[in-house]
Amino acid sequence: MTLDPALLRARAAVLRALRGWLDHQGYLEVPTPVRVVCGALEEHLETVDAAGRPLRTSPELALKRAIAAGLGRVYEIGPCFRAEEEGVHHSLEFTMLEWYRVGAGTDELMDEVESLIGAAAEALGQRPPAFSRRRVDSLLPDDGPGAADAWFHRWVDAVEPQLTAPTIVWGYPPWQAALARVRDGRADRFEVYLGGIELANAFAEEGDPAELRARQDAANLRRCAAGRAPHPVDDAFYAALPAMPRCAGIALGVDRLVLALTGAPHIRAVQVR
Amino acid sequence: MANSYETSEFRNGLKVELEGNPYTVTYFQFVKPGKGTAFTRTKLKNLITGAVIERTFRTGERLDAADVEEQEMEYLFNDGEFHHFMNKESFEQVAISSPSIEDEAKFLTENLGVYVLFYKSKPISITLPPFIESRVVYTEPAVKGNTSQGATKQATLACGASIQVPLFVDQDELLRVDTRTGEYVARVK
Repeated sequence: MTLDPALLRARAAVLRALRGWLDHQGYLEVPTPVRVVCGALEEHLETVDAAGRPLRTSPELALKRAIAAGLGRVYEIGPCFRAEEEGVHHSLEFTMLEWYRVGAGTDELMDEVESLIGAAAEALGQRPPAFSRRRVDSLLPDDGPGAADAWFHRWVDAVEPQLTAPTIVWGYPPWQAALARVRDGRADRFEVYLGGIELANAFAEEGDPAELRARQDAANLRRCAAGRAPHPVDDAFYAALPAMPRCAGIALGVDRLVLALTGAPHIRAVQVR
Repeated sequence: MANSYETSEFRNGLKVELEGNPYTVTYFQFVKPGKGTAFTRTKLKNLITGAVIERTFRTGERLDAADVEEQEMEYLFNDGEFHHFMNKESFEQVAISSPSIEDEAKFLTENLGVYVLFYKSKPISITLPPFIESRVVYTEPAVKGNTSQGATKQATLACGASIQVPLFVDQDELLRVDTRTGEYVARVK
């Protein structure tokens, strides 16, 4: 595949802007292992096996241990892997930026991600995109968890194609909490759309190990019922959780950010492949 | 037809059957919402009406292959209601109702080789060669030496099409035309 120097330079400029913004906000870069004990907790994420251990689908579990150890605001930019995901906006190997803000909630993170994306846009000589914020149930009414597939089908079919303007969607049904806190019957979670592409996912982090373990067990039961292998239990993660202060965290696909800002035709066009 | 395709086998140009109609896949995209299962978003063009629909399928869903077949044929004539084509090897002749190939018909000239698409053994549409040659039967007189970029005028071709041509093109000249865009390509000496 021919490489496009202009797109790769744009990618470098975005990466530089991201690191500059994070440094300026006082975030500490913490590199964590790519090959891990548990690569994912969510039901619908598939891991890549590397010599008997999964590769991470995100650095989430390790970064939370770093926060629990008292490191405060932390971030990592690095490769993550998700099996069975290839497409215009999906790549088995991709670059993720994840950052955690201690003592904050999703409102503060919405402001931060808008500011960070603005910095990346400016690094490419563009004006910062202006985001609107929409409640998930104003776009698509809830169904019960039993209708999850139908809900996602309608989301992909009818809602997502309308999210062409920069949008933050927030307040998910409780059965889509993943690792987020559930507050007032809604998952305290948001996603960021730019150029019709889902760029980022944020949680007000659930800190109760029993609650998260129950969610992992439930997800694993559904995986087993569907003929999928359960995700392994990361004991060190659960043991560290009680020491983790209240925080909110967000994961942003760097390749997708470059894709959305440059209008490149395919995620591979912004990677060296 | 036992043949069917799973979502991961979707490709542009794949011919599938949906709700009793043949479609060709013109666009497909793997999508996976944040915390959900994977889907394939598609655009499908109805092979009979030309209408384009958008559909999203769950990963792993299967669609039947459309019972379609393509044959190389030669254009014969138009009787006002039907366009007639012939298979050069079997001499079998077929007729397609003219309105259903309205867009293509204006580029048809006698003996032009095309692909005729059959759905359940009935001819439903044609695919033109990407380029055809046709003579200019009418255009405003050529402007000598005018090669200015972008300036065009209308020209009527022997095949029936009316296209935009550069100002230097003259009547009776043979032109090469792109049938996919309906655009002038070059003069043929």
